[in-house]
Amino acid sequence: MIMKKNSLIIAFSMVSTILLGQQKDSDASYEKKVLDQVEIEFLSSYYEQDGKHGAVGGGLGSEKIQDVTPTLVVNIPIGKNGVLTVDSGISAYTSASSSNINPFYSANSSGEYDDYDDDDDKYEDDDDKSSKGNVPNTYSGASTSGNLTGGPIGTPWYASSGASRKDVLTYVSINYSESSEDRNRIVSSNLYVSNEYDYNSLGLGAGIVGLFNQKNTEVGAKVKAFFDQWKPIYPTELHEYGKYGSNFLNSGYFNNVNVLDQSGQNTSTYYPSKFKEWTSSNRNSYTASLDFSQILSQRAHILFNLDFVYQHGMLSTPYHRIYFNDIPKHYIGLSEFIPVYETNQNAGVFRLADDIERLPSSRIKIPFGTRLNIYASDVVAVRTFYRYYYDNWGITSHTASVELPFRISDSFVFTPSARYYSQVEANYFKPYGQHSSKDTFYTSDYDLSGFTSTQFGFGISYKDIFTQFKVLGFGLKNADFRFQHYYRSDGLNAIIYGLSLKFIQN
Amino acid sequence: MKSYHKILLIIILLNVTSCTVLKEYEKVYINDELIALGPKSLERFEMNFQIYREAAAGGNGGKTGGGCGCN
Repeated sequence: MIMKKNSLIIAFSMVSTILLGQQKDSDASYEKKVLDQVEIEFLSSYYEQDGKHGAVGGGLGSEKIQDVTPTLVVNIPIGKNGVLTVDSGISAYTSASSSNINPFYSANSSGEYDDYDDDDDKYEDDDDKSSKGNVPNTYSGASTSGNLTGGPIGTPWYASSGASRKDVLTYVSINYSESSEDRNRIVSSNLYVSNEYDYNSLGLGAGIVGLFNQKNTEVGAKVKAFFDQWKPIYPTELHEYGKYGSNFLNSGYFNNVNVLDQSGQNTSTYYPSKFKEWTSSNRNSYTASLDFSQILSQRAHILFNLDFVYQHGMLSTPYHRIYFNDIPKHYIGLSEFIPVYETNQNAGVFRLADDIERLPSSRIKIPFGTRLNIYASDVVAVRTFYRYYYDNWGITSHTASVELPFRISDSFVFTPSARYYSQVEANYFKPYGQHSSKDTFYTSDYDLSGFTSTQFGFGISYKDIFTQFKVLGFGLKNADFRFQHYYRSDGLNAIIYGLSLKFIQN
Repeated sequence: MKSYHKILLIIILLNVTSCTVLKEYEKVYINDELIALGPKSLERFEMNFQIYREAAAGGNGGKTGGGCGCN
């Protein structure tokens, strides 16, 4: 209710400001507008990664992801002082790690299991009925065992065909900014909405920028709030425990399914008593930002940015498995793969979780960043960035990057870039199987581990101030392409391609 | 405060306070998009995956909340 009320207030204030801007425009239309014409920008990226520390497998297993993000950004002049920006897009991804929320396959159905979206079930699970009796192509490792006529099998090293193997994030962001007549003040407000199958987000923001010192100095302040909501999905084995309680091994999914111990023998000792479902699934984030930029000379300027972020609520991910070092191991699948469970030779056994990731319900993040950009010559410029980051989970990090844009011609710029990042691990992180059941907080998500990462790439920019190439009354103003390769010291590799085409109304 | 932090602060303050005030017609280079202080629009995708794969976020004008970042 509060979220809806806030949305209405922000929407009303944005519309009011727009209408006010239009009214002013009729009185003084001879002045230069902040934005002369409608601009439309098409952006898209393709991202791919792979690694060996999947968080859904408790810090072990495939991290393969592919992600495509078509995006449209429209800037509309409102009066002479205002700009309305509508930014919308999707992020369509497949994830091997997420697919293993339900990692199990069986040629014979292994007991009853709920529908994907069963209204009478307080839990959400991740079974895809269409794949129940089939071994997908992504699971070729298991199919080579030739033993799919028995109970279910799985492995953290291959994607399963569970419904969570893919999802689509859809978002819309609406921003309105209004400049003062002398262009020394800019106020803005923002509304953001996004939706995924198991996650929704509503964001509100407002900001003010002041220019001083003959526009040589700029000071800005922003506040943002995100009101997010999980729809928790739990790993299959914990979902069943949560649903059926002490008799879960003879009920639902586990009915007639053999659970194995470390020696590969059938056992009935699996009992994940630490697991409890989340009773509250909100995640709220509040950010206050301060910016300060200063022209240093005719060829150099500098920017400082300080953020203060406070997050509260369900900061854990409900399908990240945890395996304790003081509890016996239990598996479902083919016993011959138990000795090689921690290697990618494991093509047919999955270890049952002891619990899910547990992290504190609040977090404070304080990043401080600075950019120094220098116009070295008419041919080359230097763009630098440094950030120090601190949070109260024990993580500190340093980020440094440099870009060297080369002007190849009046229309083309080639920009090689390099980035270095280092991070100290969170207090609650330990690798696969190293947490104790006596701990209060635990995660094996390697995004929270200690590591360094490097990123190298390049960009090519094309600019046509005459907008000679035209489509439907819009001329092409800019075209940009970027490629980046990312390597993390724990073995995660990623590449990303990006393309942007910006048109202006003629 | 550590000594290198003090030195860094002094350098920054010297830079900021010693700069001259430029007239609009002197800002040809400063206004060139090659050295624009904000990230390019296409960088949003990189910043997004970095937020997912690294614990740090913010301090760069990018996203600091919203979305689970859980894949």
